[in-house]
Amino acid sequence: MHKPFTRRSVLRAGVATGGAALLASMPTRHVFAQEPEKPSEIIVRAWGGEWVEALKKGVSDRFTEMTGINVRHDLTEDNEIQPKLWAAVAQGRVPPIHVNWDTTTNATKSALRGVTEDLSDLANLANTTELAKPVGLEGYPIVNTYGYVYVLAYRPEAFPDGPPKSWRDLLDPKFKGRVALYNDGIGFHFPAQVAGGGSLDDIPDNMEPCWDFVREMKAQNPLLGEDPDFTTWFQNGEIDAACTISTNALAAKKNGVELAWTVPEEGCKFDTDCLWVPKNLPENEAYWAKQYVNLALSQESQQVWLDGLGLPGVVPGLTPPEGLENDPSYPTKPEDFKHLIRISSAVQVQNESDWFAKFKEIMQG
Amino acid sequence: MDALNRTLDIVWPARMMPYTGWALLMPALLLVGLLVLGLFQMADSSLHTLDRSTFLPSENYTLENYRTVVENATYGKIIWRSVLGAVLTVFFTLLLALPYSYIMVRTSSSAVRKVLLVTLFLPFFIGQVVRAYGLLIILGTTGVANNALGLVGVEPIRLLFNFPAVVFGLVQYMLPFAVLMLAPALTAIPRETETAAASLGANWLQSFRHVVIPMAKPGLIGAGLVVGTLALTDFAMPAMLGGGSQDFIANAIYDQFFRTADQGLGAALALMLVVLGSVFVAIVISIFGAGTLGMGGKK
Repeated sequence: MHKPFTRRSVLRAGVATGGAALLASMPTRHVFAQEPEKPSEIIVRAWGGEWVEALKKGVSDRFTEMTGINVRHDLTEDNEIQPKLWAAVAQGRVPPIHVNWDTTTNATKSALRGVTEDLSDLANLANTTELAKPVGLEGYPIVNTYGYVYVLAYRPEAFPDGPPKSWRDLLDPKFKGRVALYNDGIGFHFPAQVAGGGSLDDIPDNMEPCWDFVREMKAQNPLLGEDPDFTTWFQNGEIDAACTISTNALAAKKNGVELAWTVPEEGCKFDTDCLWVPKNLPENEAYWAKQYVNLALSQESQQVWLDGLGLPGVVPGLTPPEGLENDPSYPTKPEDFKHLIRISSAVQVQNESDWFAKFKEIMQG
Repeated sequence: MDALNRTLDIVWPARMMPYTGWALLMPALLLVGLLVLGLFQMADSSLHTLDRSTFLPSENYTLENYRTVVENATYGKIIWRSVLGAVLTVFFTLLLALPYSYIMVRTSSSAVRKVLLVTLFLPFFIGQVVRAYGLLIILGTTGVANNALGLVGVEPIRLLFNFPAVVFGLVQYMLPFAVLMLAPALTAIPRETETAAASLGANWLQSFRHVVIPMAKPGLIGAGLVVGTLALTDFAMPAMLGGGSQDFIANAIYDQFFRTADQGLGAALALMLVVLGSVFVAIVISIFGAGTLGMGGKK
């Protein structure tokens, strides 16, 4: 629906843009003197462990320092906060958080449902790469903040002949019960499609090769879990290999677990996470929530935040964390993406539930 | 006391006396009413499919979600696993709870009774998730159990992330509930009945089988019902000890609500779980009679 510009909307856009520009360029708490009333705190949903520590250090602490507004991190899982946000907006209630740190696929569902604020006027968007722009959505109802790879993480001790070259290497009988996947198969569907002899072009119409490979993997009796499980399982010696986000492997390695990761010949899934602001917040709180997102897109915040996560950001000129330059989990150049699999959010949003259900069907058998 | 009576006369005058019973029931009725209201809302939600272009429920009413549950083999397996898990949990829990309660009630040593009570209540105060996590540590590949096996030359074996591990966790979790429900039933059995059985020539085992167990039936049925319904609807043990491949119905409901955002399908599954639990209770009551549970019905 087309909405005509009004004097109020033009003024509001002007104030927001001007404020954002100030926030980006003048990091002192005084620049906000003319801004909307500050809430005592804003609540940012985040993943726990290394994830929230990195966000705190890179964005939240800086935001508090610059604005005087405290940032509280809500560690409710992204999947669990989603129905709460949807219900709050549908019922005209104030949502329980100000900023949602979310997977792009999940966030796209929220954007399609119309519960996200427009972020197009954030000043720092001007300095972001194409990766920041959500695909298949108009404008910026969400903003991608970094990319990540679902790598094949492994214990070098279990692979004495060198890193696994193919996902099929995990079918070796010696890895029975020693491989871990996400419990909905996320990150594994696309490389499985290739490892099963299929083509990525057939996604989503013909995923049978993927399911064939998942069935082969099921015979290996894999463990199925969530992010924290992988670190625990590696630490406790329960598994030798896992399809997991490189950040989790990096966290386990930092915790003293001897671990390495690789991108096998079939490739690994590359995806993005994002930030978004839910609708129905009081106007001043929505404003400051947007400023938080804006700050997360500044070069300084991206550098610190993503150093902690070991992931490539959406701002040019970031320095890779120590040891991750030219690492397959840290793609920055076009050639780095050669073995990484990117499937559009639109396809994932439409089909993800079916893929999860099919993966469960095989694994629960 | 007079002041209290005067206050009571003001708040609840004598003419209201016929309604006292209803007034006492009101909080419970309100709670149940809220639950029923929620169930009606879930029933409505279960009749709408998810429109994936907007991620809103569709306008039309349909039984599609129920058809999905019935036709999808995965849900069949999950429902079967939940029922089997609940039945096995009831069996093993009662098997362990009965002698435990009996010794706790009958022992003449107060020290033994205290030790048994403390042993019972200590894990009772610890939440289910913490207990499951404890089992992860104890039964893990490098855990205490495998270390003990290693002492006698047994290679580490996978004790976790399978169906037996889930049932083990459930039994461990349910044991205090069952003991607490059985203890009053056993206390109510006069010692003299066992003495009488012994004086008529019954040994301890015969007395236990023919006197104690039949007389403890209300406690056994009540404990079985509580343990069975709690196990049938359990979420944490299958999630934590099942390694992702031993889901119960509650895990499938969680997935629909929180993983795929399909509230309609989640609601359909939830209502089917309510029906399944109700049928389970109805079967037990129809077999053993409400009187067995001390509800004054036909014995």
